[in-house]
Amino acid sequence: MPSSVKATFETWNRKFHFYLGLTFLFFLWLFSLTGLLLNHGRWAMAQTANERRETRYERSIQAPSGPTDLDRARDVMRQLALVGEIDWPAQAQPGRLNFNVSRPSDSSQVRVDLSLNRAAIQHFDNSGMATFRIFHTFSGSRVNAPDSRRDWILTTAWVLAMDALAVALVVMVLGSYYMWYRLKPKRRLGSIVLAAGLLSCGVFLAGLF
Amino acid sequence: MKKSFYVWTRDLHLYCGLFISPFVLLFATSVLYLNHAKLPTLPPAAPEIFQNVRIPDGIVERQGREAVNLAREILPQVGVTGEIGFLRVLRKEQRLVFPVSRPGLEATIDVDLSAGSVSVSRRRTGFLESLGYLHKMPGPHNVNVRGNWVWTRAWVWLADATIYLTLFISVSGIYLWFAIKAERKIGLSLLTLGAVVFFGLIYAVIR
Repeated sequence: MPSSVKATFETWNRKFHFYLGLTFLFFLWLFSLTGLLLNHGRWAMAQTANERRETRYERSIQAPSGPTDLDRARDVMRQLALVGEIDWPAQAQPGRLNFNVSRPSDSSQVRVDLSLNRAAIQHFDNSGMATFRIFHTFSGSRVNAPDSRRDWILTTAWVLAMDALAVALVVMVLGSYYMWYRLKPKRRLGSIVLAAGLLSCGVFLAGLF
Repeated sequence: MKKSFYVWTRDLHLYCGLFISPFVLLFATSVLYLNHAKLPTLPPAAPEIFQNVRIPDGIVERQGREAVNLAREILPQVGVTGEIGFLRVLRKEQRLVFPVSRPGLEATIDVDLSAGSVSVSRRRTGFLESLGYLHKMPGPHNVNVRGNWVWTRAWVWLADATIYLTLFISVSGIYLWFAIKAERKIGLSLLTLGAVVFFGLIYAVIR
């Protein structure tokens, strides 16, 4: 590699390292702190993340319109002024349109009797700490539910932000390996520390126990 | 004195970063899997039946962690290691069913309490599933029984260390960036851009 190209790469690699870090700083802090809450359900702070206020009500609605259940659910949500990601119960019931709507701050279970055009809503308002924690897992998709799809644009936007943070972290880590390796006096201790990290992580990943 | 603090901070930033870098790569790549994967899971193997298994006394009467600790005594007898997720007692059928998991394996243990036999279904999990599993462990559910396997407790410790060191690295990174005067302006612009996108998205989602 010509020395000028190498110098340019090194300069930009270093710049990208802190540019990415600064751009994604708040996302990184959110996922770090919520990760702690998720790992420590016994902490008093984490207990408050289980708090939510429940309300139940019923409403008469106009017959939901649309060619698919998703369209009809969206029509019901519009009538009830609900927003969020739609999730479907395991089994559909004939003559009913049942679905759940959720976002980090609240969620609703909506049960519509299509013959009476009446919706029963069980609504949950999450506490501030619960809202904070849910942002960690708010993806609208479950690996073990192949049919689940994101259908709210803001869920997609949030997932894109998560993905961008993940890619930024990978780029930062790989770039940092290069920067470290170029520091000859730091190679030996750095190799030991990196090997310790690789070993302790690899043992778990390979299931070597 | 100031220079010494700078050098110490830079070195700690480097070495702490190197240690947690494999964990950061694990958590980052598993995010993409958890957000997007719809992989077909491998089917479980045919159940293995174990006879004459010693069932600990009082396993059905005990609750929570105590019951899980008793259930753990069954695992070495059927050649399974891992974290017990929860216990499900089917009193009428005199059965105890519980899942056991670890990276690379998911098993369901079905204990016939009256016959003293145990059926074990195992499902191998792939590399990406293992990444996802580690990302989500221990998780917010069943906190009273979580960490019943020594390696889960060790993983929690390492996951916590990753978080604390990430927070340290981010704060020390801010300090190291701010020391470069020529980069302050563009760095502040990017920090502001990130803050606007972050708080803007949060506001849009919860408003």
